[in-house]
Amino acid sequence: MIHYRKDTDNIVTLILDMSGRSGNLLNHQIVAAFAPVIEHLKQEKAAGKLNGVIITSAKQDFLESGDLDYLYRLEEPARAFEAAQQLKKFLRDLEVPGVPVAAAINGDALGTGFELTLACHYRIALADSKLRMGHPEVKIGLIPSGGAIIRLMWQLGIERAYPLLLEGRRYSPQEAVKVGIIDDLAADREEMLARAKRWLLENHDVRRPWDDPDGSIPGGTAADPNLGHRIRLLTARLSAHTNDLYPAKRAIIDLLAEGSKLDFATAYRLDSRYYARVATNPVTKNMISTFWFDKQAVRGGVGRPRGYGKFRARKVGIIGAGQMGSGIAFLCLRNGLEVILKDVSQPIADRGKEFVGAKIDEYIERGTFQPEDREQLLARITTTNQSDHFRDCDIVVEAVFENKSVKTKVTREAEEHLDEYSVFATNTLSIPITELGKESMRPENYVGLHFFSPAEKTSVVEVVAGDATSDETVARAFDFAISIRKLPIVVKDSWGFFAARVLNTYILEGITMLREGYPAALIENMGRQAGMKSGPLTLADELGLKLVLRYEQQAAEHYGQRYLQHPAVPALELMRDELERSGKSKRVGFYDYEENNRARLWTGLEQHFPVTKEDYDRRRMKDRFLFAQVIEAGWCLQEGVINHTEAANLASVYGWGFPGYTGGVMRYIYSYGHQNFIDRCLELKERYGQRFTVPRYLRKLELSTLTPTT
Amino acid sequence: MPTEAFIYDALRSPRGRAAYPADLYEVKPIEILSQCLTALQRRCGREDLPTEIDDLVIGCNTPAGDQGYNIARAALLYAGWGRARGGLQINRFNTSGLEAINLAAARITAGYGETIIAGGLEVMSRVPTYLNSGPMMNDPATVINSHYIPQGVAADLVASTHGIRGEDLDAYALRSHAKAVAARDAGYFSPSMEIITDQNGLPILTEDSLPNADLTAELLAQLEPRFAEMGLAGFDEMALHRFPLVDHVDHLHTNGNTSPAADGCALCLLGNRAAGEKLGLNPRARIRAVAMSAVDATLLTGGVNASDLALKQAGLSKRDIDLWEFNESFAAPSIRFQQRLDIDDDRLNVLGGSIALGEPLGAVGGMMLCQILDELERRDLSLGSLTIDAGAGLAVCTIIERL
Repeated sequence: MIHYRKDTDNIVTLILDMSGRSGNLLNHQIVAAFAPVIEHLKQEKAAGKLNGVIITSAKQDFLESGDLDYLYRLEEPARAFEAAQQLKKFLRDLEVPGVPVAAAINGDALGTGFELTLACHYRIALADSKLRMGHPEVKIGLIPSGGAIIRLMWQLGIERAYPLLLEGRRYSPQEAVKVGIIDDLAADREEMLARAKRWLLENHDVRRPWDDPDGSIPGGTAADPNLGHRIRLLTARLSAHTNDLYPAKRAIIDLLAEGSKLDFATAYRLDSRYYARVATNPVTKNMISTFWFDKQAVRGGVGRPRGYGKFRARKVGIIGAGQMGSGIAFLCLRNGLEVILKDVSQPIADRGKEFVGAKIDEYIERGTFQPEDREQLLARITTTNQSDHFRDCDIVVEAVFENKSVKTKVTREAEEHLDEYSVFATNTLSIPITELGKESMRPENYVGLHFFSPAEKTSVVEVVAGDATSDETVARAFDFAISIRKLPIVVKDSWGFFAARVLNTYILEGITMLREGYPAALIENMGRQAGMKSGPLTLADELGLKLVLRYEQQAAEHYGQRYLQHPAVPALELMRDELERSGKSKRVGFYDYEENNRARLWTGLEQHFPVTKEDYDRRRMKDRFLFAQVIEAGWCLQEGVINHTEAANLASVYGWGFPGYTGGVMRYIYSYGHQNFIDRCLELKERYGQRFTVPRYLRKLELSTLTPTT
Repeated sequence: MPTEAFIYDALRSPRGRAAYPADLYEVKPIEILSQCLTALQRRCGREDLPTEIDDLVIGCNTPAGDQGYNIARAALLYAGWGRARGGLQINRFNTSGLEAINLAAARITAGYGETIIAGGLEVMSRVPTYLNSGPMMNDPATVINSHYIPQGVAADLVASTHGIRGEDLDAYALRSHAKAVAARDAGYFSPSMEIITDQNGLPILTEDSLPNADLTAELLAQLEPRFAEMGLAGFDEMALHRFPLVDHVDHLHTNGNTSPAADGCALCLLGNRAAGEKLGLNPRARIRAVAMSAVDATLLTGGVNASDLALKQAGLSKRDIDLWEFNESFAAPSIRFQQRLDIDDDRLNVLGGSIALGEPLGAVGGMMLCQILDELERRDLSLGSLTIDAGAGLAVCTIIERL
């Protein structure tokens, strides 16, 4: 479990090597294994036979993050508190006795895995920019349990520790040095161990700032007036951005503010109390379920047609060097693929490469890439205005603008040079893939690959199968997406595919409220307070009212006789046709868009949609917004537009901004309660109409499909 | 008939500009308070005033640093009133000075004290408000739970929700300056005014320095919004969490239509009838009612409720009030106060208000009392009402009757 080696300079190296696992996990087992080791080290130190300790790992990872199976099922605050206290005690045993300890980080060290390094007196990592370290717990709704919040505060000060914890980014070793969580880098393992040893020999009496009687938190505490004021501003920003819906984020700022005014030992214990509350919060369970387990499931192939070998694209053709095309090119390059970027002229194609270069510079600035990476990355991209460059591409992605004949033309041109094994993917948001595929030379190889904007940031892509698309092509598109580190959501060719189709119901519900006499400001505010990124009217304007209506027309065609017109349609038609306010691109819609891009609700709205409601049930408004989407997602599952709740959850939170605290559009039913959900739908249906009918799929839903089966 | 509380005298220092270069910055806060105590003693003509009082109650918005550690007791000792009883410092934000007077009146009315000096002190140039932090400032959970936003953003919210435009705010500010300049030039402030001197008796500040005779609508219109940055930082969105019927907050308040920070001190000698007889003083006014109210912590509009409560307590209607004083921290809440109570222009803040004169937070209530009492006497009127909106939804009102 732990290999113990001592050299002639009295430096002990502890090598973590848990048996029966591919990685090391900081759990009870390893903590128990450490106890006698620490005892022995103390004796050695007392006898003057120990100069220091190096901790490193025999596995590829330094130390994995926490045990999420266990965490997901942890429901009693008392147990969570106890677990956090135990881990903390272990880390203190390592940190306090005066034996200098260095962490030699040879692999990923994330979350709980990073806690151990923070309890060491010195951290050195391999300068391998593929390694990741830091505290991403917040992304699954958690906070660290071993006191990382308090240690980072003491090490970096409140203002530097806060963004690191709040954003939960995984840092490369170079970035980690920059943000201050790693002390040093080494080129290889040998150098790393040698440097760690040298540091230990040069630093005998080591104490962390919080164990030094003269130590203080850099930059001061929340009790200092200036920092107190900053904390108030940070709190306001957090509240504005999160609508107070994310307990972990609140706990981070609360702990930093409160903990900074206390001594280390008290703050350290307080950290466990906050942890116990956050870890047992239902929001945290939702987020672990979706942002961890569902993600693992999709990465593991949920939605991918079975029976086809793994597709490894090496060379990717991209048509269209605009923001989307360049964004995709950047993604391919950073994941080791070769890129041919084509546009109508060489200068336009070159501009795309410049965009990629600027993106790379941005990442160099941050520390994700190293300056020497630049040339190496850009060496793998070729710009052109000639389709014959696509000759040996494994996949070509077309990202030209939304126009069927242009898309058809560039597809044909490219396909001439492709063989029957290569995949042709189109990035469209509203043109049916089946329709576009008909114009293709090889419809079975033709697939939709819907990237969301901005391509390099959004975590999901929709892999859209047209009627003629072969399963093998879907599997290949899926593998391609995984290779550029996207979560592929396999969907059928429906209007707006899956994401836009469901999001449209949110927009329509908002417009319906406007028709019913709700004030526009309240509609927008309630949308955001329900946790959506923007109000429904804002989204309508951004998408353009024409597209919102086109989706609804496509729905009408799909359902034929069974279609019931959505009550929002007349309002949309009034806006689009009579009032000629069709959205942001025209600078007039539900909002007026001023010169400086500032949007103000159109003052004429009230004339056409008079406010009639005296009384507003805000809770019900929020439910309507979210229920409309959950029900539409239910229809999609029932109709086979999408086949897996895991994929639906991920598409919802990453693709269209369904609130993350719910765990996604399907997990929402789990936390709302299945029966409660059905009852509420019934009530909403009576009040507002057929659109709140629960699809059979959702009525019969086995709740166990919405919770991790570990 | 319960005991009544009378005002035997009221005095104040000039209101000095607190922004750099500040008028009173070079004088210790305790020295300013001490000079006011000495002036009160002189005006009463009673060498034995220190031994006659039952307490000194001083309201202070920022009881920290140079005006902390119970500045009331400290000032008695500093001023050589060592044998005087009492010394109490209280804080209800910028209503503190008025609240001190109300508290003294309540004690006298209840019979727990015959003679009390009450008032306020604030030297913002020396003791900026941020020196007295607290949970509403630096505890994130309190910040979020209270929805307490910076008052300037709250004032902008009031303007946004009631369709008050930037030019309305500026017009209000301009009137405030015009009235204050006219009153200063006519000497209407002099009965209560006590100059502040250095240790040699050389004058440092002899009159209110902030009212600006040269101000114009054009100059006001050029000023930048003062609270837009705070709004953008997230407080606008927090305001919308609480008031989702609002689409956005327009940041209309500028340095020109909000009260500038100011320094100063005001004191009031209160007592029951027996106290006056003992000291040989005639009462100038009686306290008719004191009231406090609270509305939503995000807002700044508690004044109307406080005023209603006080009127009810006094058995009066708003038409009975001859002169109104309302603390003009920001123009929009002032406009709302006037609109909601339907007060004529020529009865409200007739000598100008805090937008023109400046707002020494804890002292402003006492200053307003000096001004309204002098003006009721000058115009030979009877009833005056004083109202102050404070942060976190609080408001305080006092009604006095001139005798």
